[in-house]
Amino acid sequence: MCHPDKVVDRSMLFAVGTALFLCGASVALAGTNEQQERHFKVKDRPVVILDNIVNGRIEVKSWKNPEVVVTSSSVEGKVTIDIEQVGDRIDINASSVVSSSGPHDVEANFQLVVPEQTELQLRTQTGLILVEQVNGDMKLQSVAGDVHLKEVSGYIIVKTTGGSLICTLCSGKLEFTSISGSAQILQPSLTNVNLMTTTGNILYDGDFIRTGLYTMNSGRGLVEVRFSGSDSFDLNAQTYRGTVDNQAADFLKPEAHGNHHAQSKFSRGLFGTVGQGLAKVELSSYSGTIRILKRN
Amino acid sequence: MECKELEAVLAEEGLSPLPLEARNHLAVCAACQDLVADLSSIVSAAQRIPAEVNPPDRIWVSLRSQLEAEGIIRKPQMVESAPVGSWWSGLAQIFRPRALATVAATLFLVAGSIYLVQRPGMRTNKTVTNSTAPQTHPPDAAKNVVPAPVQQGAVTSPKIHVPPVRSARVTAPPQPRESHTELMPSPSENAYFGDSATVLSQTEDALPTRELANNAAVDASLRQNLRTLNEFIAECEARLKQYPQDQLTREYLNMAYQQKAELLTAMMDSGRSEH
Repeated sequence: MCHPDKVVDRSMLFAVGTALFLCGASVALAGTNEQQERHFKVKDRPVVILDNIVNGRIEVKSWKNPEVVVTSSSVEGKVTIDIEQVGDRIDINASSVVSSSGPHDVEANFQLVVPEQTELQLRTQTGLILVEQVNGDMKLQSVAGDVHLKEVSGYIIVKTTGGSLICTLCSGKLEFTSISGSAQILQPSLTNVNLMTTTGNILYDGDFIRTGLYTMNSGRGLVEVRFSGSDSFDLNAQTYRGTVDNQAADFLKPEAHGNHHAQSKFSRGLFGTVGQGLAKVELSSYSGTIRILKRN
Repeated sequence: MECKELEAVLAEEGLSPLPLEARNHLAVCAACQDLVADLSSIVSAAQRIPAEVNPPDRIWVSLRSQLEAEGIIRKPQMVESAPVGSWWSGLAQIFRPRALATVAATLFLVAGSIYLVQRPGMRTNKTVTNSTAPQTHPPDAAKNVVPAPVQQGAVTSPKIHVPPVRSARVTAPPQPRESHTELMPSPSENAYFGDSATVLSQTEDALPTRELANNAAVDASLRQNLRTLNEFIAECEARLKQYPQDQLTREYLNMAYQQKAELLTAMMDSGRSEH
């Protein structure tokens, strides 16, 4: 006859064994993290194209060497990463190899080191795109991932569905379009800015370069501009259902260049000139607030 | 008379025979002569605009090459130039397959945008029309002293603050004029908006119901942004039904349509990429 204590012990042993087996199996199924690093010599100004159709973060930094270094990490067996060099162009593609039978959120993360003068075309789904100290035209696309740019210059195009942009110390030209993403432009030296978002907010905190053109539109969001006392620009701000919050009335003079804006009866507007009115600033929001401030 | 006064006369009375004082000024002022010449050319160009415009040939060339590049059509099945007057119905015939609807929507909107942008006088506020639409804001609405509502999801700047709104000394926005400042949309423009809404709605209906890109985060973001756009479009459309000559709303609606076309294309691509 079997002793009851021994029956309990065997049951416990079986349960623990099963649990250990399942843990081991799940670890094995999850796969190990695969990391690879590749180096590409370049001559002149390289073009790096990275198309990441899975999730993941893309980080780009620059150095003085004429070489592009691509470091990627992904779960082994779930993502295919193809990298090809054609002259000074480097194509990187990351795609999922998991069958479509069920949901899977696979991820591939990239770290790129490029020469300072490099053109970039980067696309990802949900991860952050971070670019620092790169001079060159760039087109950056993301669905839900944010885009952070620091000390970059060139013709910069950023397109997101819901991701936001933070652009610090950027110069050149900037275009940003998004549905719900916001944009913060901080301490820029941009000569041409075109920002458009449907429900996101826009913050421009910095100088307006003389002869520059600055257009900022938000459907429902806040559009806020903070200028300095030494700036020089003509301002045209219009909103249909929102408000224009002018907190810089002391610095805005009546428009000085004979631009007689015909105010639409369907919108509220503010027209004025700061300094000599050398740059042109056009702000519009359909139903959000437009706020104009002078920095301290 | 000075330039400003002449402009006021033009705004009020158009190019109809000007008062003697205005004509005297015009005779000696080159700038005003240029202004009147510009206005004349705008008015004459506006009169020449047909009720409906065929898209330029380059749109068809671009459309055909894109479809060929994607392997969707082959040479023998090339898209022929649309017959005059029925180009939209022709396009609808070509794009019966659901998967092609997004391409059609995008290109249609691009064509529409080009047309709207290139149309002379579209954005001018000096074109003389007689609008008798109701006043939507009180006479002082143009002043910028208006309450600032709390915004949801404000920019996450560390310095954003909402101090009380001050009265602005310098706004001097021209008082809303009862007429002369808003254009009534043309029939072709109305048709453009109507067709865009139809195409986009059909494309949206054809979206896959399963998870896009087999990626929960992407799927959620795309669908949430589609809802956001639809809400905004509905708001603009409702407004335009009430006040069809509201130019700002029309511009925002046009932008929202383009964004929706691009979003639907991305969603279709996400739905296809896994198969």
